[in-house]
Amino acid sequence: MNAGPQMVRWSVIGQSVRGASHKRSGAPNQDAIRRRYDRLGIPPIVLAVSDGHGSPKCFRSDRGARFAADIACQLTSQFLRKMGDSAPAIVKRETEARLPVGIVNAWRKKVDEDIRKNPFTEEELERVKLYVGASARTALEQGDPQQKALAYGATLLLTAAGQDYAFYLQLGDGNILTVWDHTPQPQVDAPLPEDATLLANDTTSLCMPNAHRLFRFRFQYFQGAPPAVIILSTDGYANSFSSMDDFFKVGSDLLQILRAEKQSKGKENKLKQRMALEKNLNDWLEDASINGSGDDVTVGIIYRQDVIGSENQHSAPSTHSAGAAI
Amino acid sequence: MPERPGGSLAKRPLQFIWIVDCSGSMQGRKIESLNLAIRESIKPMQDVADENPNAEVLVRVVKFSDGAQWHISQPTEVHGFKWSDLDAGGVTDMGKALTMVAEAMKVDMMPQRGLPPVLVLISDGQPTDDFKNGLKALMGQPWGMKAVRISIAIGEDADLDVLQEFIGNPEVKPLVASNVQDLTKKIKWASTVPLKAASNPASRPQGAANGGSNVQIPSPPADVQPSSPADVF
Repeated sequence: MNAGPQMVRWSVIGQSVRGASHKRSGAPNQDAIRRRYDRLGIPPIVLAVSDGHGSPKCFRSDRGARFAADIACQLTSQFLRKMGDSAPAIVKRETEARLPVGIVNAWRKKVDEDIRKNPFTEEELERVKLYVGASARTALEQGDPQQKALAYGATLLLTAAGQDYAFYLQLGDGNILTVWDHTPQPQVDAPLPEDATLLANDTTSLCMPNAHRLFRFRFQYFQGAPPAVIILSTDGYANSFSSMDDFFKVGSDLLQILRAEKQSKGKENKLKQRMALEKNLNDWLEDASINGSGDDVTVGIIYRQDVIGSENQHSAPSTHSAGAAI
Repeated sequence: MPERPGGSLAKRPLQFIWIVDCSGSMQGRKIESLNLAIRESIKPMQDVADENPNAEVLVRVVKFSDGAQWHISQPTEVHGFKWSDLDAGGVTDMGKALTMVAEAMKVDMMPQRGLPPVLVLISDGQPTDDFKNGLKALMGQPWGMKAVRISIAIGEDADLDVLQEFIGNPEVKPLVASNVQDLTKKIKWASTVPLKAASNPASRPQGAANGGSNVQIPSPPADVQPSSPADVF
C-alpha cells in the first residue's frame, strides 16, 4: 500500500454489548471484535467482528468468536505486510486465494489446541446430552472433528482498508456498510452481495466443511477518495431496526456525527475523542439490543480522520467514487 | 450525546399460525374442546410474549374442510388476539390449507428480519385432497422450510404418518390427544413451548453435521389420562 502525497489516515472505534435476551437468560456475550491499526492512522487498518452461534450444540462459541476475530486480524496484518507495495490486482488475487483458507485452517487449529488445553468438561458433555442428544455427546467424546468445530461455531466479517484499496470478507450473517461522503447526500451501500439463504436463524459458519469456499469477497480499488466510513456489525444490529432502510440510515447519520465532531489536536486529545465516541456507541448498541433484537450487538467503525470536523470546513469538490471492483 | 444513528428500532416479528381441521368428523366435542383449549391458550401465549420482549408475536388462523380459508387472516399481535369459535363440517382438504400457508410464507410476504415462524397443524383424520402437493408447496418456500412445525392428532383416526411428514423431523413426533383434558394440555404446550424457543433462537450453521430441528424444542408433556370415559374422543 503506497504512502502517496495525499495519504489517507484511518481511525477505528468499536463496541460489543451483551444482548438483552442474553442478560435475561444468563448467556454471555458471544460476539467478538478485534482491530489492528497504526496509532497515527497510517494504512492499512484491519477490523474483524465475529458472532458465536450460541446454541447448545455450539456451547463454546464465545471462544470460537474470539479466536475468529483474533486470527483474522493477525493473519490479515501479516498478509498485508508480506504484500508490501504489490499491485492491487496481485493483492486481490492473493487475498481471495489465501486468506479465507488460511483463516479457516488457523481457526480449526486453534480450536483443536483449545480442546487439548481445556478438554470438554463433564458438565459441558452432560448439557450436550440433555439438550442435543446422546449421539452428540458420544461424537464429542470420540473426537469427531465436525462436532468439535461445531462447539465453537462462529461467523466472521473482516475489512482491511489501505491507501487506495479495501477488501471485505464475510462468512455468515451480519452486515458491512460503506459510506461515501458524496455531496450533497452521502451514499450508503453494502459492498458484498446478500446471501439469500441466510433467513431466520440460519447462517454459514467457520465450523462448516469447506467453510473457506463460503466466504463472500469484494476487493475495491478507490478511483477517487476512499469511503468516509466503513461499518462492520453482527446480525443483532441490523435485526434491531424496523427495516433495512432504517439500518442503512446508520451510515449517513454516523457520517454526520463524525463531521460534527471538533477536530482535536495531539495524540491524547484524539484518544479522548475516540473514547467519547466509543462511550456513545456503547449506549446506542445497548439501546438497539433492548428495544430491537435482544441479541448481542457488535459494531466496528473505520473512518477517515479527515471526516472529523469536516462539517465546519469548506466543502471539498465531489471527486469521490463508490470504488471499482477489480 | 449525539442522537442515536439509524431509523426506528423494532422487535423481531414472529408469525404463529394455527392450521385447524374443521371437517365433519370434528363436529361435537372435538371442535368444542378445541375452541375452548385455544381460547384458554391465549393468556399463556401472551405470558410467553411478555417474557420475550424482543419478539413481536403475530397470530393467524387457517381452517380447512371443503377447501381452506383464513379464519383470522390478519397477523394479529398476540395481546390483541381474540379467538372466534370454529364450526365443523365437510371433508379434510389439508393440502389446500398448506398451500395457503405456503403463500403466506413467500419471501416477499415475510419480513426479512423475522424469527422462525411457528406452524401448528391440528387434525383428527386423513387428508381428502392432495396433501403431498400442499406440503411440497410449503417446503418450497424458504420460510416454510425454516418454520418450527408442530402437529396435534385428535383421537385414534388421525393420520400420524401425514402429521409426521408435516413436522419433517424424526426427532419430533406428533402430539396425540386422546381426550378433552389431553387436548387442552397439548394445545397449551404447542402454543407456548415452541413459541418460547422460536422467540430467542440461537444461530444454526447450515449443513449436515448440525442436523435436527431449526430450533431446539424441549420434550412435549406426557399424555393425560381421561377423567371419565365420556371424555375420550
